[in-house]
Amino acid sequence: MSGIAAIGIDAGSTTCKLVAVDPDGAIMSSVLEPTEPRVELQVQRMLDAIRAKQGADSSVPTIATGYGRKLIKEATRNLTEITCHARGVFRDLGRAGTLIDIGGQDSKVIQIGPDGRPIDFMMNDKCAAGTGRFLEYTAARLGVSVPELGARALCTAREEPISSTCTVFAESEIISLIARGAEPDAILRGLHRSLVGRVVSMARSVGVVAPLMLSGGVAKNEAVRKMIAEATVEEVVLPGEPQLMGAYGAALLGIS
Amino acid sequence: MPIHYPRAMLRAHRLHPMELWGPPHVERHEGSRHFQAYTCDIVVKAMSFIRSGGLGASKAILVPHTCDALQGMGSVLGDFLDPDQRVLTLYLPRGRRGSDHEFLQSELRRLATTLVEVSGYEPSRADWDEAFEAEDAADRALADLYQRRDRLAISDRDFYTVVRSREYLTAEQFCQQAAALPEGDPPERGVGLMISGIVAEPALFDQIEAMGAHIAGDDLACGFRRVYSVSAQADPFERAAYRLLTSPADPTCGTPIQARVETLEARMRALGARGLLIYDPKFCEPELFDVPLLRKHLGACGFPVLHVEFEMGDRLPHQTLSRIEAFVETLS
Amino acid sequence: MTRLEALPHYVESNRFEHFVNYELLGKTALRVQRWRDQWKIARRRPRPDSALNPPLRSVVHMKEIMSRHYLEGRYAAGVRKVAWVTSGAPTEPLQALGYFLVYPENHAALCGVRRKAQSIAEEAEHAGWSRDICSYARTDIGAMISGKTPAGRLPRPDVLVCCTNICQTVLHWYRVLADYFECPLVLIDTPFLYGEANDHEVAYVKRQIEDMICVAEEIAGKSLDETRFREVMTNARRGAELWLEVLNRSQQRPAPMTAFDGFIHMGPIVDMRGEAVTVAYYERLIAELDERIERGIGAIKEERYRVLWDNLPIWFKIGEFSKWLAERGVNVVASTYTFAWGELAPMIDPTQPLDSMARVYLHPILNRSTGHKLDAMKRMVDEFQLDGVILHSDRSCKPYSLGQIDQRDRLVKTLGVPALLLEADHNDPRDYSDEQGSNRLEAFIEMMEPRA
Repeated sequence: MSGIAAIGIDAGSTTCKLVAVDPDGAIMSSVLEPTEPRVELQVQRMLDAIRAKQGADSSVPTIATGYGRKLIKEATRNLTEITCHARGVFRDLGRAGTLIDIGGQDSKVIQIGPDGRPIDFMMNDKCAAGTGRFLEYTAARLGVSVPELGARALCTAREEPISSTCTVFAESEIISLIARGAEPDAILRGLHRSLVGRVVSMARSVGVVAPLMLSGGVAKNEAVRKMIAEATVEEVVLPGEPQLMGAYGAALLGIS
Repeated sequence: MPIHYPRAMLRAHRLHPMELWGPPHVERHEGSRHFQAYTCDIVVKAMSFIRSGGLGASKAILVPHTCDALQGMGSVLGDFLDPDQRVLTLYLPRGRRGSDHEFLQSELRRLATTLVEVSGYEPSRADWDEAFEAEDAADRALADLYQRRDRLAISDRDFYTVVRSREYLTAEQFCQQAAALPEGDPPERGVGLMISGIVAEPALFDQIEAMGAHIAGDDLACGFRRVYSVSAQADPFERAAYRLLTSPADPTCGTPIQARVETLEARMRALGARGLLIYDPKFCEPELFDVPLLRKHLGACGFPVLHVEFEMGDRLPHQTLSRIEAFVETLS
Repeated sequence: MTRLEALPHYVESNRFEHFVNYELLGKTALRVQRWRDQWKIARRRPRPDSALNPPLRSVVHMKEIMSRHYLEGRYAAGVRKVAWVTSGAPTEPLQALGYFLVYPENHAALCGVRRKAQSIAEEAEHAGWSRDICSYARTDIGAMISGKTPAGRLPRPDVLVCCTNICQTVLHWYRVLADYFECPLVLIDTPFLYGEANDHEVAYVKRQIEDMICVAEEIAGKSLDETRFREVMTNARRGAELWLEVLNRSQQRPAPMTAFDGFIHMGPIVDMRGEAVTVAYYERLIAELDERIERGIGAIKEERYRVLWDNLPIWFKIGEFSKWLAERGVNVVASTYTFAWGELAPMIDPTQPLDSMARVYLHPILNRSTGHKLDAMKRMVDEFQLDGVILHSDRSCKPYSLGQIDQRDRLVKTLGVPALLLEADHNDPRDYSDEQGSNRLEAFIEMMEPRA
């Protein structure tokens, strides 16, 4: 008899995550891979691997979340990232408060209640640039890779303000800046500030209740963390594995 | 807030207006907590500015009903945000009929009672007369500036800096500024353009000059659309309403398209403009509706039309500038 | 070439064509079609796989009424005087004068429901109208310049009547129409009510209605018949009262009708307000709803959550949304939009037609403050015992949408009701992303779960 009580799958737009938990909700095993074009096949392979490793069978409850959740035929149930991230972060940090999750496709602000359930949430508007994709897309223009983005933005004190609110306009603005010989790091710093500005304004709409928690891939970006803390004057806390929180929450919801 | 409001009436109540067209350098963030991404910069940035305490010790925010976006702003400010300033609204009728004059007079009377509450001052007959005299002088000075444009030895940037100083100066200060402008031959001019739209920042005029063009005339809400005619009715409300309802063609006032085309065509011919540049802030519906018909009708009269949109900010995107430059090249 | 010659699809008919094609053949064909639809419904077997209960039987009558209206439109030009009017225009005097009324907004919505709006709007975009202007306007301007319409053909206007009580957009839009059709544009300017209406505002609207009557009389070549006018007003009031009753039937649990049904069934009160046929139709509809209530039949099979819809519908998604939400136990039982055509019924007074019209046409929800709209939503949450609110942030409709961010915030914070701001557009599918939209809706449903 294996110790696995549930498996959570977060089939996101950029990365695909699997987390297996024991009956007490502790993480027993986890995997993270870049999302492949055929996400359903990828998840199946990851599931088989994790089950084989833990000696579990297909009767273990499996909850799917993320953009690809509907494609996961094996899932017992699927739930949105809102509910899953809230649950995962609540369990990890043990506190109610405001969670900011900046993902590849969407960014969201979730108000977590004292029971770990979302009370309210807000997501970026369709046409606006408040997502991880915004950084990725515009940084590509500057020839900087995603992992080094944050460090590069922090290594300069200069900042080129980016005022455009949509990705297309922002790109045009960056081209103008490059054409004028602006320092790439200073442009990056401006880009981060613009992203954080949007996210923080969204957080204020829902209402910032301390502590401010971060999850999602962009949480790993130190410039984003620092600027959010500066903008909100609140303590910013991170769960142990910010990228796994969706899958973790899904697994926890599988137990209950 | 833009565009049209009764200046003399404010003055009679001992209030001084400072206009908010943006401001362009303010970030949208704070304002976008209240308005969707598809709301124009003037409203969203003004909201950011107000919410971050930009108004200081001002007593009131007057939001004239210029468009649906400003309607939303006035309503949200008053209903939900409880700012330190009193929120005042003014409905501007979209017709020019007898009923519109009558309505606007009553609407101004209603506004006057709230102005008394805001300022704590009830104007006397002498106050009204003094206010109209001063503001009419400034209105005349503005009209006169446009008349004399060809004989002023200043760049477009300097010209519009003075025109737009009416947005914050008192009537007397404005008249002084206008009178102090040096007469003489204007600088090297190049291709003449007529510019239409809501607002243009000074940097644009530098760029246009560098392209070898100049502004022969404008149809801007912050410019020529506010060249009011003055009158001498005895009743202050009648007089204020007359001023607002006889302003030049303006789509936000409901001017029929044919009337706009005729005025633009006549002015472009008189001023030697070769093309029309429509320069609009993004999401400005009152401006956008007329664009295809202006292009069609003015095109038929031999005037090419270029329409560009911009986001208010520190600098103009090069795409926009390249399009204007190409337009100038086709006209030269 | 004159401007009208540039619009060759606006042809005139004559009395003979009108009689043969509409009165004789058209009406008969539509009646036969209704019989056939009724026969089909009677033979319909229950569908256990559907989350929705069978649609209302009355719908076939509505289809007949609306089709008849559009059919007459094809042959109206040259036979009856035609007025193109905004949805909130004071049309009762025009009806009493015998005008045939065209509602461009309703026509645009029809294009939306039939999923033709985008391709028609693109005609306007190709002609230079920006994608940032209202998609109704783009759809209608596109139809006007290209002749493309699912309605067959619209009659050319003799007069345009534009009332600003829904937005300023209509004024800009109708100025474009006036430029093309070269016909008079009557403006009824209705000052936006930031608070309660003032006397000078009512007087202003009344005077403009009087002026409109003068223009309409002159064009029609006859004067307004007081008796007929009163009759139209009486029907208008009765129709609005009945429509309000129809909507309030959904206070029942389970609600016999969804707001999506309401969006479709509102056709007659929008397009044929003041006509006897509208009154008769809603009487029939109420009888059917009462029968459903008595038998405990809801619009959807399992009503777990009751939700309010704010703003215009997403016309091109009505069918899909209604099914998708029903499958998740969500019944959208009310909408601020459908109420707009019923809630002012008590203000209509046939004995004081002009005074009451001036008041009525000043007070649509769209002409009132953002705070008033929040109060209306709060009241509906209470009266309809709602579990959540969907605020459709409609890119095209700024007067309806600006203010929703704060309204949503107050609903969540003061009533503790889950509320979702859903970004879309009433007519342009390019402004709605299915994936993002359904993800947000699912998260919203998950938040209502503890309330079920």
